[in-house]
Amino acid sequence: MKNGFQFKNFYQNPSFPSFLILLAIIILNAFLQPNFFTYRAFKSNLLTFTPLILTSIAQGLIILVGCVDLSLGATISLITVLMASLMGDSVMSMLLVVLCGSGLALLMSLVNGFIISYFGPPPLLTTYATSVLWFGIALFFMPTPGGYIPSAFSKMYRSELFLRFPVALIFLVGAFLLLYFISKLKFYKHIYAVGGNEDATYANGVNVFTTKIKVFLLSGLFVALAAVCVVAQTATGDARSGLGYSLNSVAASIIGGLSFSGGKGSIAGPIMGGLILGLLINVLYFANITSFYQEFMKGIIIIFSLAIGAIPKYLKTRSL
Amino acid sequence: MKNNSQSSILERNVVKNVFFAKLAISFYAIILLFVLGEIILPGFISFSHVMSVLRLSVFLGIVALGQTLVVISGNEGVDLSVGSVLSIGVVLSAYFLNGQNINIPKALLLTPAVGLGFGLVSGLAISYIEIPPIIMTLAMASVVEGTSLIITKGFPTGNAPPFLEVIGNGKIFDIPYLILVWIVLIILSSLVLKKTKWGNILYGVGSNSLTAELSGVMVKRFRVFVYGICGAIAAFAGLFLLSYTGTPYLNLGANYTMPSIASLAIGGISLAGGNGNYIGAVTGCIILTTLNSILVALRTTEAVRQITFGLLLLILIIAYTGRRKK
Repeated sequence: MKNGFQFKNFYQNPSFPSFLILLAIIILNAFLQPNFFTYRAFKSNLLTFTPLILTSIAQGLIILVGCVDLSLGATISLITVLMASLMGDSVMSMLLVVLCGSGLALLMSLVNGFIISYFGPPPLLTTYATSVLWFGIALFFMPTPGGYIPSAFSKMYRSELFLRFPVALIFLVGAFLLLYFISKLKFYKHIYAVGGNEDATYANGVNVFTTKIKVFLLSGLFVALAAVCVVAQTATGDARSGLGYSLNSVAASIIGGLSFSGGKGSIAGPIMGGLILGLLINVLYFANITSFYQEFMKGIIIIFSLAIGAIPKYLKTRSL
Repeated sequence: MKNNSQSSILERNVVKNVFFAKLAISFYAIILLFVLGEIILPGFISFSHVMSVLRLSVFLGIVALGQTLVVISGNEGVDLSVGSVLSIGVVLSAYFLNGQNINIPKALLLTPAVGLGFGLVSGLAISYIEIPPIIMTLAMASVVEGTSLIITKGFPTGNAPPFLEVIGNGKIFDIPYLILVWIVLIILSSLVLKKTKWGNILYGVGSNSLTAELSGVMVKRFRVFVYGICGAIAAFAGLFLLSYTGTPYLNLGANYTMPSIASLAIGGISLAGGNGNYIGAVTGCIILTTLNSILVALRTTEAVRQITFGLLLLILIIAYTGRRKK
């Protein structure tokens, strides 16, 4: 039975439970949100979910290499502040500011990556400290939400290209293509190797230091994309706009079947995890749950998803 | 002769170890911070002000005790729900107490019990379903926060009774009662960690859970218990925080979660588990609180405070937990 389709391998895939959860939550959404399957609803959902999915990809890559980044949210905030304070009406300035913001994102993730891979402190604490730092810098430049984002910029994000292809989808498709391209590189295997066993990888001649730095830079790129989406959507700079993203992206990655110790799971996991979380918040909204219960329900459903996510591991230990 | 030189080397090493141990460095850091505070703000180092800074670190200190137990127990153990449990501890104890001294035993019993419940649920999921502690306790934080919203409907009721207010704000010989409570807690927990069988098991489970398992410890059940205790202690800290503030507010504990972990790292407790003691965490808490109170006393904007705190925290974390890699 070595050849052919093996159902066992399919359901024991770490991302399989998240796939099931995704299906379940889509069905739930279809019942609750009127016209869930119409183009309008699809587009409005897409606009809301894109930043979280992009952040989850960034977080997923970092978790794969065995670290975690709690400063992603603060990074998004700081970039929205930067963009909202600099952006002008001309297309040229928009382009320049987006480039500036991306540069800043890369710089910030480089700082995190360098400190973690050079000095070796626990990533959890390091990125918490940098998140406090980024938040402080964002507050310094913009104590209250404000700044200026030309409406043309927001419209661009909401607009559609030929054949009613939403621009937001281009962001996602672009991100997926980039991921697909990277997954063909040798570097992608190094990510898993470093996440799985750092010392052994080092002993086999892989440069652990540069691999980690590269992963952080790559995640910076995805965070920059996410920040552009957030700015376009909210049309303001806000030092608190990114607050929820760090922890939600970690949750999305784990729900998507990544192992917290790194080196296990597929990058499709965080994408599905991000979608699940987004749809989840949708459900809580459309099910008319009072705001008092929303936080509670969110926690319960995340725990529930995590528990389902643990099923393949359980089955594996059973079948041994 | 040879013996002599050897022993002197040994002595020198002992001296070196005593003065340059991580714990000693933490003490120097505390002294340095207070001197720095005195330079920036004359009067910072006066007895009453030092005491008031120490009193502020009590709450973080109690929360850090539970965190210490969880971190020592190993397996990437960490509890990110302590802040929320502290918050619900404040709200619940105010509700139970309702300003009456007679309700104190009830609050003393029920508040930690609720925290214990939340901790046990986290522990069960972490131990038996093998959900990573970070994400499980994070989701639990959401649940706890949601619970306190549901029971208060956004407006917490009740307040601290006179006796508790005395504990929270009163002093004896100029030493706040809260600090005395903390000292008792420090001594008790150090005794439990170092002298009892339970403490030994904790270190054993943390440093090598397999050998602990083979020695007959029910490792999974033990870890559930540790998370439960951590929750109970966090809720207990909420009771004391209420005694200090008098009236309850929602989310009073929001700024305790990450500092409680950072204080362990600064105090020389490895986040990998299996070693460290509570005294280290205590020094870490005092360092963080002193730093914060200097920044608050400087009357800068929140932005400058956050930037300085983040930067210093980063430096502290690198200095204490960094290990140069090839």
